[in-house]
Amino acid sequence: MAVFKILLINGLVIGAIYGLIALGYSLVYRASGLMSFVQGDMVTIGAYLGITFYRVLGLPFAISFILTFACAFGIGMLLERGVIRVLLSRNVIPIYIVLATIAIQYIIQNTAQAFYGSVTQRFPAIFSKPTLTILGVTAQTEAYFCLLISVILMILLHFFMTKTKFGTAMRGSAMDAMAAESVGINTSLSTGVTWGLSAGIASLAGMLLGPMYGVYTTLGATIGRKGFAGAVVGGYGNMYGAMVGGLLLGLVETFISGYWSGTYKNMVAYIILLLFLLIKPTGIFNESAIQDV
Amino acid sequence: MADIVKDEILAQEETDKAIAKEAELQAAGGKAEDDKAHPVVLETRGVTIQFGGLTAVDHASIKVRKGLITALIGPNGAGKTTLFNAVSGVYIPTSGEVLLNGEHLEGKRGFQINEAGISRTYQVINLFRSMTVLENVMVGMHTRLKSNFWSDLFNSKKKREEDAEAREKAFEWLKFVGLDEYANSPAGSLSYGKQRLLEIVRGLASDPQVILLDEPAAGMNSTEKLELDALLKQILNMGYTILIVEHDMKLIMNISDYIYVLYHGALLAEGTPEEIQANPDVIAAYLGGEDDVI
Amino acid sequence: MKTNSKKKILPLIIGAVILLALPFVAQMITGNDYWVLILCTMLIYVIAVSGLDILFGYSGQISLGHASFYVIAAYTTGLLNNYFNIPLFITIPCGAILAALLGAALAYPASRLKFHFLSLATVAFGEITYYFLYTSPGGFTNDYKGINIRSIPFLEGSYTKWYFWLLLWAIIFVVAKIFIVNSRTGRAFIAIRENTHAADGMGVNVQKYKILAFAISAFYVGFAGTMYAHLYKYISPETARQKQSVLFLTMMLFGGSGSIVGSMIGVVIIEILLELIRPLQEYQMLLYGILLLIVIIALPGGIVGGVRDVMADRAKRKLQKEGEGGAQNG
Repeated sequence: MAVFKILLINGLVIGAIYGLIALGYSLVYRASGLMSFVQGDMVTIGAYLGITFYRVLGLPFAISFILTFACAFGIGMLLERGVIRVLLSRNVIPIYIVLATIAIQYIIQNTAQAFYGSVTQRFPAIFSKPTLTILGVTAQTEAYFCLLISVILMILLHFFMTKTKFGTAMRGSAMDAMAAESVGINTSLSTGVTWGLSAGIASLAGMLLGPMYGVYTTLGATIGRKGFAGAVVGGYGNMYGAMVGGLLLGLVETFISGYWSGTYKNMVAYIILLLFLLIKPTGIFNESAIQDV
Repeated sequence: MADIVKDEILAQEETDKAIAKEAELQAAGGKAEDDKAHPVVLETRGVTIQFGGLTAVDHASIKVRKGLITALIGPNGAGKTTLFNAVSGVYIPTSGEVLLNGEHLEGKRGFQINEAGISRTYQVINLFRSMTVLENVMVGMHTRLKSNFWSDLFNSKKKREEDAEAREKAFEWLKFVGLDEYANSPAGSLSYGKQRLLEIVRGLASDPQVILLDEPAAGMNSTEKLELDALLKQILNMGYTILIVEHDMKLIMNISDYIYVLYHGALLAEGTPEEIQANPDVIAAYLGGEDDVI
Repeated sequence: MKTNSKKKILPLIIGAVILLALPFVAQMITGNDYWVLILCTMLIYVIAVSGLDILFGYSGQISLGHASFYVIAAYTTGLLNNYFNIPLFITIPCGAILAALLGAALAYPASRLKFHFLSLATVAFGEITYYFLYTSPGGFTNDYKGINIRSIPFLEGSYTKWYFWLLLWAIIFVVAKIFIVNSRTGRAFIAIRENTHAADGMGVNVQKYKILAFAISAFYVGFAGTMYAHLYKYISPETARQKQSVLFLTMMLFGGSGSIVGSMIGVVIIEILLELIRPLQEYQMLLYGILLLIVIIALPGGIVGGVRDVMADRAKRKLQKEGEGGAQNG
């Protein structure tokens, strides 16, 4: 039972992170019908920014948290404005956009390496109390914190998208850009904000992961690829599906490596991804068909 | 221009003759004679197509006779194109049968239906834009060519011969519609009207038993429409059978041998152009539906 | 007619002479075998990238996991030869055929997926391959350490011999590509790329041809993988990762997709660029990323596409000029 509880909390923590990444994929796909491979590397950027603000500059965690979000938001928007939009305006074939995001991945990973080297960096603890026991489960305090913040982020996002004017505008322009334009919504702005928002969320995931996993240049790349599995399992393009899919993936992965074998832990996510794509591509939430012909 | 008009008149005379002959046949032997001269090739029996709870086509039964032009008309949203798509395999009918020479087609995929002998054009032009005009026609011949992957890989003599033959035939098709000088240009570079013509010969290239034309005159100017009118009659004279959906009533009444009128997914009327023009239900449907006057 | 065929033959002869002299020239200039090895690698990549182009450039399907076919075939020939001493002339085709079969097996369900999701499926396939080789059951793939592989006996020790051997195969595969794309099969591929619905309507069995394109391209890439393994006498799971797949894609797109020469130009230029930035070590990948991004933004049609655009522009201008001239005359 003790093992089960620990696995459960670990699974939920990594699952919440996958959920946040998958959420970003879904937002971007909704807003621009595109797939960005950079999302995972925004986790890396978030973690390194976190180190810079929190450890190097010694700012309080809350301030570092907000600054990181703001920077990542800016990077996300810049990416959409500076690269994606330029490519779209040239009517390039979609592979170029996929490839451009992969090129940016290389740039991010290797810039991070140029600044911080290839050694895993320590992310200082956020809380003075190293562990916390809730309902008889003892885990790293940061693990609970990560879960708490993830849930808060998801709830905030839900209210932002459904209750605020800007969120409604974003959903509107994602559904039908032309119709949205005609009722006076600035679709260009809302697409940019969507990219910024998903980058921002991913960067916060990086700050939450840092204290538990340490920070290295490919931290986000792996998580980013697995996040795809979460997004597809939930139903690609569905915000709530992304959260559920991410959590499920985290749990399955953790329980398999806990009870069976850690060797195949990394394969599990991709096998699930492939199986869903081939057998149930619309995911649990039966998101609009992603099939051809 | 003068030639076109002359062709037009000639073609017109021919149809008039055909109609006269038809009337003769009708008078002389009735249905039985008609079946002999123009047997039913394609037939739908009670075809119904539903999307969710919406019924787009409701028990539509039509007959397409060999060597004739059968038309499907009706106001916008009457389900004409939907019925077309059910015949050509884009949709699977919810119920009902589609028969080509007695062979069941319902539920088959598009490529199988083309193989069986039904070819089509599209309402929205669907060419292979960056392939050359000639290659477009050659893709149309796909099911009639025998070379397979291995003969293609080894570039066998048989394959080369077949390819050369196909190329020649495709070129003849282009000549037929006057596109031969564009044979090696990308299909996407043709003007709108020429793209429509290319769609028609691409469809004919598979030597189909029935060709379905989905609004072939859409977007054409009046000269192009006259040319199309003459072309369709020429195609008919070559022994092909046509099922056509079209909005241009002048064209339809001029070329069709038999007309079916769809209204809200169901058959409203059928008959010769004269009968349809005189049918009060049809007139009411059109006047109530839209400005398009017969 | 005669001058026309002469015009065609002359560049062919010049090209043949250059290709035959290349390894000796490289050796003379540099004084060692290194650039001959690079030339060999280029020829292997020409085979792989030409295969990927059949998939993407002609049939319009994407793969971000083609490196796995490369590596699977390499392991197949290496392991069969290492464990069972089966001669290489059997194990090499076995590797390429297994890659083709796996390609078909993956494409059978995946060919129904839309572009982006097909790319995800191939990413997943690549990662599964990587992790499988990395931690195989019973360690039969020697896991992360990779495996040592024998060279092809009659080529061993001489990169120049290897060069001519690979040149022969590159020519065979490129000629086969020319035959395939200029046939009923090739037209079906292009029709699917251009307009899937119309292809179906014209009688092309879309799924069958999508699977066929996947199998052919996996065969090309697989064969290239076996050659790579025997040339370098080593293969490791690392090669199965996305980076290698992206390299193939980059070469294909840089040269220009849907083109016979495009694949070759892309391989040669990207490979030379990579060699030039190799001394930068840890900045190599950073620079590669930046280069990639610049190329994507500046040259979206690849080199062949760019040249085609310029030619089309010139032709248009010429036509316009003639038109103006005609108007003035009239």
